[in-house]
Amino acid sequence: MAIVETSDLRKTYGEGATAVQALDGVDLQVQPGEFVAVMGPSGCGKSTLLNMLGGLDAPTSGSVRVDGADLTALTDDRLTELRRRRIGFIFQFFNLIPVLSAVENAALPLVLDGAKDAQATAAEWLTNVGLKDRLANRPDQLSGGEQQRVAVARALSTQPALVLADEPTGNLDSKAATDIAGLLGQVAREWGRSVLMVTHDPRIASFADRLVLMKDGRIVDDVHLDGSVDAARLAMEKSGLL
Amino acid sequence: MTVSLKLAWRYMSGRGLRSALTTLAVVFGVMLIFGLNGVTPSLVEAFTKGLLSTAGKIDLSVTSAYNQPFTPDILEKVARVPGVAVATPEVQKSVPLPPLDGVATSQQVQSVNVIGVDPGTVALVREFPLSAGRPLAVGDASVVVLASDLAARLKVALGDSLVLPSSVGSTRFTVVGLMSSATLPGAEQVFVPLAESQQLFALGARLTVVEASLRAGADRAAVEADVRAAVGADYTVGGLSTNSSLLASLQVSTFAFDMFGIFALATAGFIILNSFRTVVAERRRDIGMLRAIGTPRRTITAMFLIESVLQGVVGTALGILAGWGMAAGLMALLGPVFESVVHIKVPPVTFPASAWVLSIVLGIGVTVLAALVPARAAGRVTPMEAMRPQLGEVYARTVGRRAWIGLGLMVVSLFGLTAGTSLSVGLGAVVFLIGAAMAAPAAINPIADAFGHLLEATFAREGAIARSNLQRNPGRSGITVTAVMLGLASIVALLGVVQAIFAGFAGYIDRSLSADYMVIPQSIVLGQGNVAAGPRLAADVRHVAGIGPVSTLRLAQGRVNGADVQFLGIDPATYPQVAAFEWNTPSSDAAIGQLAGGRWLIANGIFASQHNLTIGEQVRVDTPNGQRTYVVAGIGNDYLNAKLATVYVSQANLASDFGVTADLLVMADRLPSADPEAVLAAMRKVVAEYPAFKLYESAQWRSEQLGIFDQTMVIFYGLVAALAIPSLLALLNTLAVSVLGRRREIGMLRAVGATRRQVRRMVLAESLLLSIIGTVFGVLVGLWLGYALVTSMSAVGWPMPYIFPWGGVMATVVVGIGFGALAAFIPARSAARLNVVEALHQE
Repeated sequence: MAIVETSDLRKTYGEGATAVQALDGVDLQVQPGEFVAVMGPSGCGKSTLLNMLGGLDAPTSGSVRVDGADLTALTDDRLTELRRRRIGFIFQFFNLIPVLSAVENAALPLVLDGAKDAQATAAEWLTNVGLKDRLANRPDQLSGGEQQRVAVARALSTQPALVLADEPTGNLDSKAATDIAGLLGQVAREWGRSVLMVTHDPRIASFADRLVLMKDGRIVDDVHLDGSVDAARLAMEKSGLL
Repeated sequence: MTVSLKLAWRYMSGRGLRSALTTLAVVFGVMLIFGLNGVTPSLVEAFTKGLLSTAGKIDLSVTSAYNQPFTPDILEKVARVPGVAVATPEVQKSVPLPPLDGVATSQQVQSVNVIGVDPGTVALVREFPLSAGRPLAVGDASVVVLASDLAARLKVALGDSLVLPSSVGSTRFTVVGLMSSATLPGAEQVFVPLAESQQLFALGARLTVVEASLRAGADRAAVEADVRAAVGADYTVGGLSTNSSLLASLQVSTFAFDMFGIFALATAGFIILNSFRTVVAERRRDIGMLRAIGTPRRTITAMFLIESVLQGVVGTALGILAGWGMAAGLMALLGPVFESVVHIKVPPVTFPASAWVLSIVLGIGVTVLAALVPARAAGRVTPMEAMRPQLGEVYARTVGRRAWIGLGLMVVSLFGLTAGTSLSVGLGAVVFLIGAAMAAPAAINPIADAFGHLLEATFAREGAIARSNLQRNPGRSGITVTAVMLGLASIVALLGVVQAIFAGFAGYIDRSLSADYMVIPQSIVLGQGNVAAGPRLAADVRHVAGIGPVSTLRLAQGRVNGADVQFLGIDPATYPQVAAFEWNTPSSDAAIGQLAGGRWLIANGIFASQHNLTIGEQVRVDTPNGQRTYVVAGIGNDYLNAKLATVYVSQANLASDFGVTADLLVMADRLPSADPEAVLAAMRKVVAEYPAFKLYESAQWRSEQLGIFDQTMVIFYGLVAALAIPSLLALLNTLAVSVLGRRREIGMLRAVGATRRQVRRMVLAESLLLSIIGTVFGVLVGLWLGYALVTSMSAVGWPMPYIFPWGGVMATVVVGIGFGALAAFIPARSAARLNVVEALHQE
């Protein structure tokens, strides 16, 4: 069963003459353990797609299923619960709580869910992402790459089915960006989560198994990548997006 | 819950300065409420204690409802009531004493209560714990018994003479007994034989009090009811503390003090609201993330509410502590004033349970209530916020609708302000302030435009940026302006009221008692317990060479429709020559002449409004000699009696209906040709024979009274200053937030070439704009509120002229703009010192 399944997904912002068709009939499936990169020019709808998949925004029409649940049919409370338990988020600006330590930040979704061994689980994930020695540090004591690793640990701590990453490397230097992209690959392949990553950077997208290219709210191409550094760039050239 | 608590605590402690500023606002509000509620009950307690300490074993006191002496048959009536063990006749009058040489003013005994007792029966009712000498005995003449500590203060010993003033001059008493009981200041008593006191005060066989003790096991309430039935409605049965004008004025000040506290807490509420709104705005992305990773709305709301509870608890605790300190300090300040003016020993500060409850409920309640709106708004933040690269416009543009609601509230509050009870006035004032607070943000843009141009004329580029900063964020600007407005409006309003009281007080001296000389009992301001003079005093004054017109005032108590009214007897022929009324149209001086021609009266404003009187109307008056019908000749005020329902009648009527012929006050004018020095010397010589009276020249009297008044005003000004501090905090808070929130923008300005100096100026200009707008609103709202308070206080029976508080307005403008500059200091410095590279890299 696919973790993500959308059918004829549409989203319109505004009305009448000023209406913007952000998503225009998107059909997408993501399998368990699959690492999908989404690329496209600004305004192509990739962030909107991500918001729909995360249950952050409601579609105008069409359906979204995540881990078997029809998001359009859920109440706000059920959606919130789904996000907490089955979806992990990674943001461009890390979005860590500045007054909490790394382990407390990573443990947040577990604590919110009332899990007993939240701190221990969070510490385990931080160790997995290479921050064993930074557990007690606050975000302002960590580098950008380290902060994003905390965010990855936070996203994974509840054992979600799906990890959504919105430009996760957009605010990082090249070295840290490569590390995070590699880590996301590990998340999919080693830890078996489905990862959907929006990015602008073809080099980062090359870490994914599959590349979805979008333009004007539609999927224009959907290709499997071979793991080479140029794979994503070549796919974009082929679709006329470069 | 645990997550909310943890986050709340971490945010609070992680943002120490901000939390401290917010909490400080609560501290100030609670401090004022708690502190002031500790002060007035202490004063009331001191006052009642002073009265009750005179009571001894007395179970019941019977006095005239008209404050008049009465015939001894009342004693018989009380004694015959079953359940009454003993009834004893007494005369009680307070007499002023001339100052003793070589004794500090604060140590002077300014008056004593002369208690004439029946030596045969008094021992059954009162205790006389003697330390030396003997008690009063049947057949004693001019002898006195008093407490040894009082004797020491009066510098008399056993066997010495004590001179007491009387209506015929003065009388010498021999000290025969000293009591070991301690004398409370304000309750200085000397005991003399009943017959002697009746002579002293020219009472004949009449009494002023019947004291009684009850049989063991008697039902107190039943006996009281029986006594009341036996003596009739013209007598008051019960405690001594009833019906005191001082108690009434203490209640007025309790109300005024509560207003201070409420204003302060309302200001604190807005600061908290402001603070939490900015906090929510700052943490929008954090909240968005929390929502995105699955935090329920209620957890977010709870987080902010817990933060507010924590701050409320800490602020209230500190506020109570500060309030205790303030009360102690105020008492230290007030103590000497009260002891010298009203002879009350001010006790250590005590706080009634209500002060604790009020402070805790309001302190925490206002904090949580103020945080409620921002907390709910935080719960509504969408998870999408986490995705936004830039913080968006966070304030809803509901300014217009709020302004209309605010205007509506202001209109509604007018009913409260004019409804005529102190509670509705207070409520009306608070509702008005809330309305003003809601309406103010709508006016920010136009005012920012107007003043912005002024600022731009001074520092052109920075001023323009500052103005646009304000206009871009009208919500935040609005709430700062509101906090400043509230703080300053309450100051201006209270200054208006204080000045009105002051002006009323000064006006009464100027207009009503315009005579060149006045011979006045020393304790006239108290309105009670004054000793009156026989006709000789006025006659003596008339005979002084160089003295022209002389007129006197006499006082009696009467009742109209069951309510107490004081009746002043004036001489229609001479009164207009030395004094004047402030007439309500269409009344005129002709009314004074009418008094001479039958039972006519002049009503003062309160009395007329209480009974809805117009000229020509008949008024039925209960007098000690039965019911009499008077006709209203005119309606007018003199400021001496502005606070009390008062009726003026001719002295002839006062004599025939009330049996009062003694003068309370003698006013005299000097002939224009006379030598002032010689007249003064001659007047002094005459008055010296009446130790209960003091001779005042108008100028001297005025300055003395104003001096006493000034002392109490200092306290009020201190409180007003305490109110200004929350406004400063509000400005500081908002400015700090506005600088922190714009680090990147400031970094950008620096990067494109703004100098540190320009950045500093920009922040300063923004602060000045905010404070100018807040000040303008504060002054306007405060002026109106002050005017409404003064007029409504006049309506509830405390007439005073409204005086435009020029000084207060000037001071407020200076303080408001000064605060603007002061509050900008730290944020401006930190903005100027911002590291450009770091600031630009901030999200």
